Amino acid sequence: MKIVICLKQVPATNDTKIDPETKRIIREGVKAILNPFDTYAVEEAIQLRDKFGGEVIALSMGPPKAEEILKEALALGVDRAILLSDRAFGGSDTWATSYALAKAIKKISDVDLVICGKQAIDGDTAQVGPGIAAHLGWSQATYVMAIEEVSSFFIRVKRMHEDGYDICEMPFPVVITVVKDINIPRVPTLKGRLASLKKEIPIWKPKDIKVDKSKIGLDGSPTRVVKIEPPKPRHINTKKIEGSAPECARSLLRELRLRNII
Amino acid sequence: MLHHIRNRTYLVEVLPPKQDSENLEADLEKFSHRYLRVINSGYCVCITDNTMGHLSFQGSEIIEEFELPVLPEQVMIHLNTFHRKDDLDNILNTCKYKGIKYLLVVTGDGSIRLPKLRPVDLDFADADSITSVELLKYLNSEYAGIFVTGVAFNPYEPEEHEFEKMDRKIKAGAKFIITQPLLGRNKVIDKLLKKYPEIPVFVEAWMSKNLTLLSEAIGYELPERKDFDPIANLKMLHKLYPGCGVYLSLLKFKTQYDLLKDTWI
Repeated sequence: MKIVICLKQVPATNDTKIDPETKRIIREGVKAILNPFDTYAVEEAIQLRDKFGGEVIALSMGPPKAEEILKEALALGVDRAILLSDRAFGGSDTWATSYALAKAIKKISDVDLVICGKQAIDGDTAQVGPGIAAHLGWSQATYVMAIEEVSSFFIRVKRMHEDGYDICEMPFPVVITVVKDINIPRVPTLKGRLASLKKEIPIWKPKDIKVDKSKIGLDGSPTRVVKIEPPKPRHINTKKIEGSAPECARSLLRELRLRNII
Repeated sequence: MLHHIRNRTYLVEVLPPKQDSENLEADLEKFSHRYLRVINSGYCVCITDNTMGHLSFQGSEIIEEFELPVLPEQVMIHLNTFHRKDDLDNILNTCKYKGIKYLLVVTGDGSIRLPKLRPVDLDFADADSITSVELLKYLNSEYAGIFVTGVAFNPYEPEEHEFEKMDRKIKAGAKFIITQPLLGRNKVIDKLLKKYPEIPVFVEAWMSKNLTLLSEAIGYELPERKDFDPIANLKMLHKLYPGCGVYLSLLKFKTQYDLLKDTWI
């Protein structure tokens, strides 16, 4: 089974700043991480490969710095990684991004399954996965919480939605987007991290994937952002307390004391 | 671990490199250098486990990868409850294989990339969650006779609950206790020593001048003291608690390490 996972580098902060002119997120000077939802895609792909054999390829589009998340994917056990990076890709909206990713998937060739996280935590659109499926003309299932069966010809998945779940069966090739219920992502091992440092990541330019340049970048993006602003800060620091009920109570007490509330 | 106290063997905390290190090779080299320095001094190196929820490499895997020497009396690994089961198994099997016997078992702090062990993972179907107590029980049944497990004691927590929890930890197999950092005498620690006279206790000496960080670590706001002198505090702890060992956290290897040899007299 040949699996492509589409990954995105996102700012590691809730304090997102927007460029007032381009209305895009300012990424310079902000620590960047692998989109947390994509970690579930990585894990699922590795588990499927380990069970059924084949290859996992990580694919991302972004500035050269996005190589960091591909290195992380390699450290986690992905077989190889490819970065789409060129000024011409800059400013692509979800439609243009999914077009470019679909073209790269075509170039990779013989791909059976594409897995994406359900959405990125910066844009929150959840459109790129479905966009890839649309550009490729493949079946798709979003919000997948479990892969129930994989045969030579089809995949059966359990989709989560507000009122319950669906079971969908689709012939390969398929695009799925996954939610966090699907697995528990691994963390990179030292051995994996050190091995990833030695691996080269090819950078593909628009000509490498034979894109129509009018369909990528700002010119190829039908989305027009009229206004964008970060949500008003709530001035609330949220901390999740876990443990048994008595321990949660003790932890809460400790937090309240630390803040001089009691 | 009584002999650590009798032989005046400091437990020296060393933090492994973080996963998002921008210069991993240099950080690994620094870690290895510190590890060897502690070992060569005859002290016990104590390697933390994702402190404060920061994703870091495991001490056991660094020891294995770089073939660092393991002298069983001189290596301690912290182990918390924020791991996948297969990662926990890997850590424990590496420790067993490398001859690491001392484990400091703590509940620990989680984060978005650090999954908590589930009750089903350790066969505690009836438990609400996995705490250090369940992890201790697991270690002392599945790895009986292989590891010597210790636990943490926080004198800044509500006393009654902390002692009740300590009772459960002792029942679960805790063989030594390491306290949270002390700044001078602490009445709750005095009670602890009276209550468990047979258990070796190590008081923690905070070797950083940053007491704000200490407040965050213990979850209790301590008054700022610009004149706080970690070495003076360490000497005072030796005087106040002569029957206890000492665990050194955030020790400055460049400026403080060489001062240690004349401190525990």
